[in-house]
Amino acid sequence: MEHAEKTVRSFKDEVMAEPGGQHLQRCYSCGTCVSMCLINQTCPDYNPRRILRMVMLDMRQETFENPTIWHCSSCDLCYPHCPQGIRISELMQAIKNIAVREGYESPLPTSQVDEEKCSGCDVCEKACPYGALSLVVKTIDGKERKVPQTNKALCMACGICAAACPLSAITVEDHSNEKIAARIQAGHWLKKTRGGEPKVLVFNCSWNLRAEDDRAAMAELPPNVRVVTVPCSGRVDPTFVLSALQAGVAAVLVAGCEPGQCHYKQGTRIAQGRMHTLHNMFEQVGLDTSRVRFVQIGTEERGRLPAMIMDLVAELKSARVPVA
Amino acid sequence: MAKNSKLKVAIYWAASCGGCDVAVVEIGHNLLKLKEAADILFWPAAMDFKYSDVEAMPDKHIDVCLFNGSVRTSENEHIAKLLRLKSKIMVAFGSCAYEGCIPGLANLYNRGDILTRVYEETPSTENPNGVIPTPHSKVPEGSLELPEFYDWVKPVGMVVPVEYSVPGCPPVASQVWAVLQTIIDGKLPPVGAVLGAGTKNLCEECERIRDGTKVKKFVRPHEVIADPNKCFLEQGIICSGPATRAGCGRPCIHVGMPCRGCYGPPEGVKDQGAKLLSAIMAVIDPEADVEQLVQQIADPVGTLYRFSLADSQLQQTKWAEEKKK
Repeated sequence: MEHAEKTVRSFKDEVMAEPGGQHLQRCYSCGTCVSMCLINQTCPDYNPRRILRMVMLDMRQETFENPTIWHCSSCDLCYPHCPQGIRISELMQAIKNIAVREGYESPLPTSQVDEEKCSGCDVCEKACPYGALSLVVKTIDGKERKVPQTNKALCMACGICAAACPLSAITVEDHSNEKIAARIQAGHWLKKTRGGEPKVLVFNCSWNLRAEDDRAAMAELPPNVRVVTVPCSGRVDPTFVLSALQAGVAAVLVAGCEPGQCHYKQGTRIAQGRMHTLHNMFEQVGLDTSRVRFVQIGTEERGRLPAMIMDLVAELKSARVPVA
Repeated sequence: MAKNSKLKVAIYWAASCGGCDVAVVEIGHNLLKLKEAADILFWPAAMDFKYSDVEAMPDKHIDVCLFNGSVRTSENEHIAKLLRLKSKIMVAFGSCAYEGCIPGLANLYNRGDILTRVYEETPSTENPNGVIPTPHSKVPEGSLELPEFYDWVKPVGMVVPVEYSVPGCPPVASQVWAVLQTIIDGKLPPVGAVLGAGTKNLCEECERIRDGTKVKKFVRPHEVIADPNKCFLEQGIICSGPATRAGCGRPCIHVGMPCRGCYGPPEGVKDQGAKLLSAIMAVIDPEADVEQLVQQIADPVGTLYRFSLADSQLQQTKWAEEKKK
């Protein structure tokens, strides 16, 4: 009987029975969520309205086979705007959970743990905004050890764990310490003097630019400014900042999202804590505090970043921060 | 080391508290084994030697010099250079020599501030004439000389090249003996290695329970009665364990104090304070007020770089800025 009941249950009912899925039926496909969502910048096919509609139309197989169902990072930018008050992130999570049980895997990159380097300190588990890392007991080289394991269905590859790991035992594809360092150095940027102009390194959250205009304005920045895109401002390890300053950069600016609008929930708060403490330490050792800057940019002010960068350049010039 | 002759060892203290010399004595009965295997040619803290004894030695006469203490005065620098000349192997022994340690925190101030504070302002000081030590002073009997008090504190490795480093404030006795045994047995690893410690972080060996609790508030150890079985960091007490090299045996943790970081950064970490900051801010509770958390870290440099400031990128940045100005 139970089996029969399962087969007759529609996909819609299945999703609604899953924790987080209960409000599915409230959706009347207005598409406000799509207009708020930042994901279509990187994945134009991602369309939460369409996915929810597919669920309601019982398109079970097609939904699971749609590679975009894994993209929602629960930033909840859409939530306050949904006229029906649906937490779409939770609905998407409900769909993901069922997909995982059905044996589907997220095609998105995830964090990779180097078990050799790992000490099992558990910092990553606490750092992950998605609960995607959890310690498991494994036998490694004949020893029983606790090491984190990535839950691929939950990991959004924000890289917060990679920055948090004290032993650099976690990497996220494309945003490893080495790759970020290479992006900073590309074209011998650190070595070249820029005609007396102070060099400014910007770590920009990948969700900070929205319109094509924003991107175009960033491309027009002068050569003494280098913009390194990171998945999230929470990926920025203060070591990156200090290494850049030591290499002769006049100032480092880290740009994250406004709290509450962070694409990876906690990243911008983590970056804020790090950068503001770094600022306090600069004050304590007597270093010029204009050399470490942190800004949080709301969705409405995305275009302001280039102007903020140029303001910092001007400030550095008037403060006579030494130029390498 | 030549098998037929005894090993020649020197132990010196520069700007240090003497704890590292005590740490050598703490190997207890193994001192007799050390004496059997080695001749101690120079150890001012324990035996009567003069600098002229060292000056009279041929170059590279000493097999191994355990140099403890940071470089803070011209005398420290002079003896570091002298011992470097006379030793085949120089070991930065203990946190001061390795990374500057507590004396390195004096880099937060300059020479003038320190001398004024010590010789004029401290409540226990009576100095009505405001006498401040100077390298040269004229007195009726002639002129007196004192070593110059530098404006900075540096680990010995920044003043002369060293082959190895032994972390710890002070290095724990079991590790001191392990290092000495390695030296006696002639089984030293490739130059540049950190001796007498692990490679990963302290959490690797810590037995306190970690249950994934995030930090709502940072507190200082004296502000709370901490659960003796739970991870300090999960209780909001900043513990340097995540960014500190393992190997000390956790004496602080065992007496209810968080790790303060004296074993320096783990293998591969350039800057202990930055890495610790990166870790502790990543584990904050989503509901907590970030600005309050930032303010709750009283004395961030002293907390995050308690032992490693003089060897940090933060310090290098500061020195580079000063140089350019």
